[in-house]
Amino acid sequence: MIDVARIDYWAANGSGPFHRASVLSKLLFLAFVVAAAVACRDPYPLAAGAGTLIVLAALAGLPWAVIGALSLYAAIFSLLYAFSLRGDGWTYALLLLKAVTPAYAVGMVIASTPYPRIFSFLSAFLPEILAAGLFMTYRTLFLLLDMMDNFGTAIRLRGGFSPGNIVKNSANIAKGIGGLLVQAVERSSRLYAVMVVRGYSGKMAEASVGTVGVYDALPVGTGMAVLTAVLFWR
Amino acid sequence: MTHMHIPDGVLPAWLWVSGFLVMACLLAFSLYRLRGMDMKKKIPLLGVLSAAMLVAMTLEIIPIAYHLNLSVATGILLGPSLGFVASVIVNLMLAFMGHGGITVIGLNTILLGAEAMLGHTFFYFFSKRLSTYWRAALATVLALFLVSLLLIAIVGISHVDPQTYRHEQGHEAELERGHEAAVPASLTAFAVVVLSLGVIGWIIEGAITGAVIRFISQVRPDLLAHTLHKDTCRIDHTRCGP
Repeated sequence: MIDVARIDYWAANGSGPFHRASVLSKLLFLAFVVAAAVACRDPYPLAAGAGTLIVLAALAGLPWAVIGALSLYAAIFSLLYAFSLRGDGWTYALLLLKAVTPAYAVGMVIASTPYPRIFSFLSAFLPEILAAGLFMTYRTLFLLLDMMDNFGTAIRLRGGFSPGNIVKNSANIAKGIGGLLVQAVERSSRLYAVMVVRGYSGKMAEASVGTVGVYDALPVGTGMAVLTAVLFWR
Repeated sequence: MTHMHIPDGVLPAWLWVSGFLVMACLLAFSLYRLRGMDMKKKIPLLGVLSAAMLVAMTLEIIPIAYHLNLSVATGILLGPSLGFVASVIVNLMLAFMGHGGITVIGLNTILLGAEAMLGHTFFYFFSKRLSTYWRAALATVLALFLVSLLLIAIVGISHVDPQTYRHEQGHEAELERGHEAAVPASLTAFAVVVLSLGVIGWIIEGAITGAVIRFISQVRPDLLAHTLHKDTCRIDHTRCGP
């Protein structure tokens, strides 16, 4: 799992041109890059596009190397898929770039946009339960990851983990997950009570499409350039 | 296991577009069934269980490259309709974390949502003479098996010929040979890998889900026996309960 807390820190604390662009322009950027990956039949233009994204991320003050490392997660599965196709080096290169380039673009978007802003944008289009569910999941995720860390430490300290003893470990992990779920449900019930006291009426996020500004030219222009390169590469 | 880590641009457009359409239809149907529920009370629980699914996906069983999903446990606790909504949320979150492609969100949601819906259905279908542990465990294994077959079917109809991606220059001879042979061979290999490694994963997930649901039925039986999934209880009140 990607370190959500670190990504959130970068997104909330950066001040580069990508951070200042609107959510709309960054999602358009993502759509252009995904469209380029879908349309691409040649690894060279996509390699050029990926290179452009890395340079742009570095110039925009984004953690370009970490985003690259995160995007390699997608590479592992694309290579497995490529092996299942029994293709050649050309196939591997193309599938690798098809996975890594959009993953890098996603990394750029999430490292420069706090999740609540993305969800707020999506709230304008999604059913209310989905938008509120996304916010709530995001809030609870940090809580559960923290509880999970504590659980991992506790299970080792209390002798609940025995290397090689799968049955015992599974039973203890299951009880731990059950305990985490019960705790999380209780916390969510308390959170619900607090929300009601604060005037919660079924709508959690303020739906906002945002405004378009001069900084939007960078993500939109880059996305269009990558897509153009793929479509017209000879 | 039963969601695809396939990158964007690999699956044919008709397939992933169909995935989005089917997902939208199932989501609309789920929201229609949920219209009578108190959403305000559900949303915190929906968030917790969706987050729990995401956290469970961090628990990777390395030798067989399997990670827990808790989708069946989520389906049992939330009900089929809200379980499907949780699957949509989880897949949107995964896509925005760079975990899986954007274009496969629809297909992955169908797979994960099917686990939740089938798991819930089987759990309440199995005889109450079985213990809570075995009902949940068997429901999990059966749901995961059926969804794995669905996964193989999707990969089967989508499995892209490697020649599609091969450089045209210097490969004319290979192109002339035809591509029919490679597809079934690789699909068989894929199916063998998924089903053979999957069995181990299903049993582990079944054991853990069974123990989790048993633990919850002992500590908070109200989570299994009340109005949390009114949509099911509305149909048959006698089936609600551990």
